[in-house]
Amino acid sequence: MTELDIESITQIDERVTGTYRPEVWEDRAAYYIRRDPDSSQVAEVDGTVVGFMMGEVRGGEFGMNEPTGWVEFFGVDPSARGRSLGRRLLEALLAHFRERGAQVARTMVQEKDAEIAGFLSAMGFKPAKVVPLERRPL
Amino acid sequence: MSERTYEVPKPYHDAVMHWQKHNFPDYPLLSQTWEKYFPTDQPFCLCARIQESIPDVQPVGAHAGEPRSLRPAELEPEAARHLLAIIRAQASTEFGSIQQHQATLERANDDQDKMWVLRVMAEELRHGYQMIHLLTSADWSSVSDAKPVDMVEEILSMRTGSHVLAAFNLEYDSFVDNVIFCAFIDRVGKYQLTMQKASCYRPFAASMPPMLREEAFHLATGVIPMRRWVEKAASGDPLITMATLQRAVNKWFGRGLEMFGHEAKGQEIVALGLKDMANGEAQDAYIDECGKMLDDLNKRHVRAMEARAATVDEADLLRLPHPRFFRRRGEPAFQMIAVDGAPFADVDAYVRYLGAVLPEAYLASRDVKHYVETLRKLVAGQITIKDAIKSTPHLARVGGACPCSNSVRWVVEDAA
Repeated sequence: MTELDIESITQIDERVTGTYRPEVWEDRAAYYIRRDPDSSQVAEVDGTVVGFMMGEVRGGEFGMNEPTGWVEFFGVDPSARGRSLGRRLLEALLAHFRERGAQVARTMVQEKDAEIAGFLSAMGFKPAKVVPLERRPL
Repeated sequence: MSERTYEVPKPYHDAVMHWQKHNFPDYPLLSQTWEKYFPTDQPFCLCARIQESIPDVQPVGAHAGEPRSLRPAELEPEAARHLLAIIRAQASTEFGSIQQHQATLERANDDQDKMWVLRVMAEELRHGYQMIHLLTSADWSSVSDAKPVDMVEEILSMRTGSHVLAAFNLEYDSFVDNVIFCAFIDRVGKYQLTMQKASCYRPFAASMPPMLREEAFHLATGVIPMRRWVEKAASGDPLITMATLQRAVNKWFGRGLEMFGHEAKGQEIVALGLKDMANGEAQDAYIDECGKMLDDLNKRHVRAMEARAATVDEADLLRLPHPRFFRRRGEPAFQMIAVDGAPFADVDAYVRYLGAVLPEAYLASRDVKHYVETLRKLVAGQITIKDAIKSTPHLARVGGACPCSNSVRWVVEDAA
């Protein structure tokens, strides 16, 4: 992923969520580019970016000190679904995580997102021994 | 992907830090503000970084498939000579860009933009330091009589106006130049570093991946503020306009193209195993990439205009100037070509035209004055095109360059 993918990523997000949020994706892209530009991935079809996956290796979060590959944002243009792009993006991201010394990958998924949960399960992700907690209202 | 870090010997390290004191006084601000602008990022380290895991064999050139060289003396003399020139030019660009950025850094009207550029400057300092490591950690005597200390002295003595490449001899007119420079000139840097990753000289090739990872952020430091500026321009912000950005693009694009070298040359560098693309091929890819960058910026601008139900004027959209526009090196050097590629026959008309399409503050610069004077002499038949191309500033000589004293050199060798 490079700074020139931001516009395409913004448009993919807009097609998925219905909201045009360029500032959000500029900030997110800048974060990953400055920390590990080789990590986050994009998928192209005929020279056009139709999918993206952002993540990086970190350690120390929540007392988990082992280097962990965190899968944090991803999206595939609805018109490009059914081509295994999500699988290929994730495989590329995981390969990079391994190269950076991580032996575990982690992510979170909302219960309502059954499709994403199914995709991650098919890719070998299993419920972890970590319980997400929240306090609402704050 | 593991890296090994090195500090250069103390006299050189001290020389770089002394250079920083005079040329990059805002450097200490970076560590003071790091946690605010780059929380949890690895702290900045002024050191040379060498990637340990790169392929052992040369990927390109007449010796492709053979082991990479570990010492300059193992290279063919022609390759070693070119490589030494490339390293010195690379070092000149790194230190040169800091001098340019520093002059207008304080004029940023957004603190984040300023701190991003400040980080870019520190990383350029690290890249220059990396080149000094390459010059001082190897024996270049097989191809140069210059001692390492004099090579370093020469690099640190250069100022805006005496650097190797024209792009590093232009003064910035405003913070717009800091940003446009990152988007356009650092992009050439990315191409050069990527091509140099294929170098047959292992220490040089292994220097490139860490530099490239940092360069990625430099490009974002150009593109992301530009994206926000084109959005502001669409919202009617009178302080930034598309015309201002277009003029700055016109100022820098040709200088970026010239950094690749003559369009028809560079094959010998590939054959020597120093890079994996000839000049013209790399330049074409760069032009395409810059075109995509402007397309994206225009999309962002148009979306913002549409959100205000405003009418988009096509003339307001950003365009790449024609590659032959305002050139002083390469095949189109000193041809009178408009941004749309149309030729001019009359030098006065062309100079007036330049006045309309270049930034106003830049017109009064030493650079434009020199260009126009040279163009007039060329058109009048007083000089040849070769003389015109050669007339760009040459390297400052070493000695007496440190402002502390006329007699002090940057590199102070140990008395012992």
